[in-house]
Amino acid sequence: MEKDTKPSGALSRREFITGMTITLAAAGAGVAALSPLSGAEETPSLDAFLQQHYKRLTVAEKKAIFARLEAEIRSTYGVKAAIADPPPMDGVEFAYALNIGRCIGCRKCVYACMQENNQSRDPQIQYIRVLKMKKEGRGIDLQSAVHDYPQNEAADPDYYYMPVQCQQCKNPPCVKVCPVHATWQEPDGIVVIDYNWCIGCRYCEAACPYHARRFNFTRPHIAPEEINPHMAYLSNRPRYMGVMEKCTFCLQRTRVGRYPACAEVCPTGARKFGNLNDPQSEIRKIIENERVYVLKEDLGTVPKFYYVLAK
Amino acid sequence: MQPSAAGSTDKVGWGLLITVPVCVVLAVVFLLTGLKTSGKPVAAKALDPSWYTPRTARGELLKNKSMVGRCFLCHAYWVGPPDPNVVRPRFAHATIRLDHGANNRCYNCHHIYDRSNYTADDGSRIMPSNVVKLCARCHGLKYRDWLNGTHGVRRGKWNARTVFERQTFACTQCHDPHAPRFKFKNFAPPPVWPAKFVRRKAETFEH
Repeated sequence: MEKDTKPSGALSRREFITGMTITLAAAGAGVAALSPLSGAEETPSLDAFLQQHYKRLTVAEKKAIFARLEAEIRSTYGVKAAIADPPPMDGVEFAYALNIGRCIGCRKCVYACMQENNQSRDPQIQYIRVLKMKKEGRGIDLQSAVHDYPQNEAADPDYYYMPVQCQQCKNPPCVKVCPVHATWQEPDGIVVIDYNWCIGCRYCEAACPYHARRFNFTRPHIAPEEINPHMAYLSNRPRYMGVMEKCTFCLQRTRVGRYPACAEVCPTGARKFGNLNDPQSEIRKIIENERVYVLKEDLGTVPKFYYVLAK
Repeated sequence: MQPSAAGSTDKVGWGLLITVPVCVVLAVVFLLTGLKTSGKPVAAKALDPSWYTPRTARGELLKNKSMVGRCFLCHAYWVGPPDPNVVRPRFAHATIRLDHGANNRCYNCHHIYDRSNYTADDGSRIMPSNVVKLCARCHGLKYRDWLNGTHGVRRGKWNARTVFERQTFACTQCHDPHAPRFKFKNFAPPPVWPAKFVRRKAETFEH
């Protein structure tokens, strides 16, 4: 063996320094590349990160989670909120009827919904879109409808105003496409989202034929004095950045017997709400006695949101 | 074996001259941009309470209302015999602007000898709490819709067990009976979305 040959497996000083320099530089670059995460708007705590799917939670776990969320809301918004979890009522299936012969397009339902459900004000998120279309000629022609008419064009007798929101389909395409089961249909027919389980892939937004789902592109911004403190886990608690949200028929209200906020605020009485399984309910009377249609019936989604043509 | 090993260390050395400075520069760049993109809280715009406060349509135009109830306070004692043809009453009812289509006589609805009540088809009395029966004399289809629950405002509970849990609005709680056609106002503004998402093209589509 020659004398200046280094033994195999040993490291020379030059190679050691070279390797260490490369390793340190790579590690430094990696840390630097990840450094924006330290300033991220929403960094989950360990409890939030390890939280299970809503359906797998026990009652005690839910209680702890709700307490943690209430503390989060207090630290974020300075509001003392109460998060409830009203269960679906037995033998109840919710349905909605909207009389487009009465609707004047005043958009009060839109803002009552925002107020009740703590939607982001900036950027603005609204669950209800009011479509305006001409009565003569094509009738209910969605292609010629506008949803952003200025407010002085409301209550025009020559136009139909058709508010569109989540139709709470019996056969919901948004639930089928969710890859992580973060959205599902409750026994009373309401399609809900676990905001802590949603990964924000927006498949459901693409699958919904009614454009009823909204995505939080940024952290929702709401003035603390405008927050509605009566919250439910599955509906109107404040959302996170990067999750979907949607109309839940105000389940924090309807599961304790009240009307949804949009139905209560309607000044013309165009919005009706009730239990589809109760033959005496007002919604059943309307469906049995009036001229009723559903939106995009041919898609087979079986909406439980009925449009009525009556005066 | 030997020359090739020496050659490879030479190549690594040349590569290092480029790799290490690039990594250092990238580290500095990432650090600077990372510091810059920390989000600032945006002040949220407040909603106007008139956009979401529940009110009936009549709540916005109660000006045309005059002297509801208590008719007998005057009419029992010092108001003279009725004139069936009167259209513009004077004195206490002078503010009433009667705009009810062909129904332009006071005593079509008000009972001519008992002003506290309304009049039915056969001349009998309808109590003010049953005003729905009075309107149903002409507006039968609306009355049917109201009974079906399509027409009119309901508040309270959707699963009301007692009458106290549901608030059903009668005709005159929303409509002004002297000028029943609504003059709506107080509308809420359109959504504010980023301009690139707003399509105005459909509006010009054969309207």
